[in-house]
Amino acid sequence: MKATNFIIAAVLFGLSALALLGTWGLPYWADFAPGSAFAPFWVAAIGLVLAIALLVTTLADDGHEPHSFPDRRGIVRVAALTAGLWLMVLLIPLVGFMTAAIAFSLFLLLGIERRPLVPSLLTTAVVSGLVYGVFIAWLGIALPTGPFGL
Amino acid sequence: MDALASLAQGFSVAMTPTNLLFVLIGVTLGQLIGALPGIGPSAGMALLLPVTFGLDPVTALVMLSGIMYGGMYGGTLTSVLVNVPGEAASVMTAVDGNQLARQGRAGQALAASAIGSFLAGIGAVTALVFLTPALSAFALGFSAPEYFLLALLGITATASMGTGSAVKAMIGATLGLMIALVGTDPIQGTSRLTFGSLELLEGVDFLPVAIGVFGIAEILVSMEQTQASAAVRTRLRDMWLTRKDWVECRMAMLRGGVIGFVIGLMPGAGPTVAALLAYVVEKKASPHPEKFGHGALDGVAAAESANNSAAHGAMVPMLALGIPGSASTAVLLAALVLLGIRPGPMLLTEQADLVWGLIASMFIGNVILLIMNLPLAPLFASVLRIPYSYLVPGILIVSLVGAYAISLSLFNVGLTLFFGMVGYLMIRADIPRAPLVLAVVLAPLMESSLRQSLMLSEGSAAIFVQRPLSAVLALLVIGSLALPLFNFMLARRAARRAGVAEALSHSSD
Repeated sequence: MKATNFIIAAVLFGLSALALLGTWGLPYWADFAPGSAFAPFWVAAIGLVLAIALLVTTLADDGHEPHSFPDRRGIVRVAALTAGLWLMVLLIPLVGFMTAAIAFSLFLLLGIERRPLVPSLLTTAVVSGLVYGVFIAWLGIALPTGPFGL
Repeated sequence: MDALASLAQGFSVAMTPTNLLFVLIGVTLGQLIGALPGIGPSAGMALLLPVTFGLDPVTALVMLSGIMYGGMYGGTLTSVLVNVPGEAASVMTAVDGNQLARQGRAGQALAASAIGSFLAGIGAVTALVFLTPALSAFALGFSAPEYFLLALLGITATASMGTGSAVKAMIGATLGLMIALVGTDPIQGTSRLTFGSLELLEGVDFLPVAIGVFGIAEILVSMEQTQASAAVRTRLRDMWLTRKDWVECRMAMLRGGVIGFVIGLMPGAGPTVAALLAYVVEKKASPHPEKFGHGALDGVAAAESANNSAAHGAMVPMLALGIPGSASTAVLLAALVLLGIRPGPMLLTEQADLVWGLIASMFIGNVILLIMNLPLAPLFASVLRIPYSYLVPGILIVSLVGAYAISLSLFNVGLTLFFGMVGYLMIRADIPRAPLVLAVVLAPLMESSLRQSLMLSEGSAAIFVQRPLSAVLALLVIGSLALPLFNFMLARRAARRAGVAEALSHSSD
C-alpha cells in the first residue's frame, strides 16, 4: 500500500498544481469580492497540504500492508472490459448506439466471460429490448443511429 | 398537528395509482439492487436517475427513494445466504446472518432483519414527519455564512466519520471540489480549468461522476474475478420469529433503530457506520456476547434496524436544509435539481406536496418491503441463482445510455467512463468515494455562499463566528477535523501502551 500512497500523493500534488496554474491568470480578489481564482487557490492549497500529509503519514507508517490491486488475470479482465467500453463509445458515431451496445454485450459475454452462446444471445436480446423499450419508445430519447437505422 | 395534516395530504399524493406503482417499482428495484453484490443503492439510484426524466417530480422521487431504502432490505438476502454483503451497510449482517443460515436458521435471520428494518423504518419516518418541519423552520434564519459552514461540515464530517483513513477521505473530497471547479465561474462568468474545451464550459455534470464513480467502478471491481459465490442451500421456511426470538431481538431492534436514526441525521456517517455502531453497542448490551460472530440473532436485528433507520434519517437534513448527509441522499438531491426543484429550507413550503408525498410513500414502501422480505423472500432469493455475468452488460449499457440522455452528448458518455476508471482506482487505492460525490454536489453552494459571505464582510473571516449559530457550526467543522487527529493520537497511545506491556511480559519471562 506504501507505493500506492506515494502515487496518490504525487497525483494529488500534480492536480493541485494544475488547479493553481490553470487559474493563475484569473483574479484572486475582484474589487470588493473574492474573484474567480479564490476557490481554486484554496482547493489547490488544501490538496497540497493533504498530499504532504499522506506522504508524511506513509513514511512514518512502519506497517507492511499489501496493495489491493488484483492479480495479472484480474488486471487483464478489467483492462479488456475498459477497452471494450471505450471501443463501444468510439463505434457509436459510426454504427449507432444500439448496434454498438449489442456488439459490446456479445464481446463481454462471449469474449471475456466465456459464457455459452445461446444464453449470451438471449441476454443481449433482453438488454437491447429493455434499452429500446424504456429509453427510445417510452422516454423518446433519440439515441444516435447508424446505417442499420439502430 | 400541522405535520399530521400535511402527512394526510401527502398520503393523498402518494396513494394515486401512478405513484403507488412507482413506489412498488422503486422498492422492488431497490430490493434487487441491494441483493446483487457489486452494486449498491447509490449506484443503482444514479444509474436509474435518467429513467425518471419523463416523470412527474413526486413520482420520480418516490421511485428513487424506494431504491435507497429498498436496498437496505435487499442487502440482507445476499449477506445471509451468500455471506457477501449486497451493499456496504449489510456487512455486519453477513457476519452473524450467514452463520445462522449455516445452522439452518436462515429463515429466522431474514425474518429478524425484515421485521427490525420495518419497525425501525416506520419509527424513523415517523420521527422524520415531526423533525423535518421543525428543522426547516429553524433553517429559515440561515444566511450565507451558515450555508457555507453547513456545506463544509457535510464534507468534513463525511471524511472524519468514515471507517477508513481520514486523510484519504479528505483527498476524495478535495478531488470532488476540483471537479466542481471546472466550468464557468458562477459569479463572474469567466471560464475556469476548461483548457479550451467547449464541452467543459458548462462544468462537469453530476450524473457522469455519480454513474462512473459508483456504477461503472463497482462493475470493474466485480470483473476482477469470475463470480463464483454460491448461496447457502437452505429451505427458507419458518420466516417468522418465535416468542423466544422476539424477546431476544426486540430491544436490539429498538436500540439499533434509535442509533441508526441519530447517525443518519449526522452529515457523512450514513447506514454503514450506523450498522457497525449498532452491532458493537448490541454486543456490549447483549446477555450472550460470546454468540456474536457465531450466529447472534440480536446482532443481525440491531445492524439491519440501524441501517434502514439511518437511510431514512439521512433524509431529514436533505429535505430540511438541502444538505445531503450520505451518497444516496446526494443522488436524491441531484435528482431534485435535475427536475428543476430548488432544494433548501423553502422546499417544505414551496413544494409541500412533493415533500409530504415523498414522506408518505416511505410508510407505504416499508409495508411493501416487509411483504417482499417475509412471504416473498424465497422468490427474491431465487434471483441470486442468476449468474452475475449475465447482469453486467445490462447494467453497463443502461449506465451509458443514461449518461447520454442527460445532454444527448457522447462527451458525457466518455466522461462517465473516465470517472468509472477514476472510481475503480479510488476503490483499489482505498480512497472513499462518497466524499467525492458529496463534494461535487455541495461545491456550488459552498463556493457561492463563501464568496457572498466575504463580500458582505468585505473580506473579514470574522463573519463565520459573529452569529451564535455560525460560531457553533464553525466549532463543529473544527471538531470534525480534529476528531481523526484525536483518534490517531489515542490509537498511538494504545499501541505504545501495548508495546510497553509486551516488553514487560517478555522481561518477566
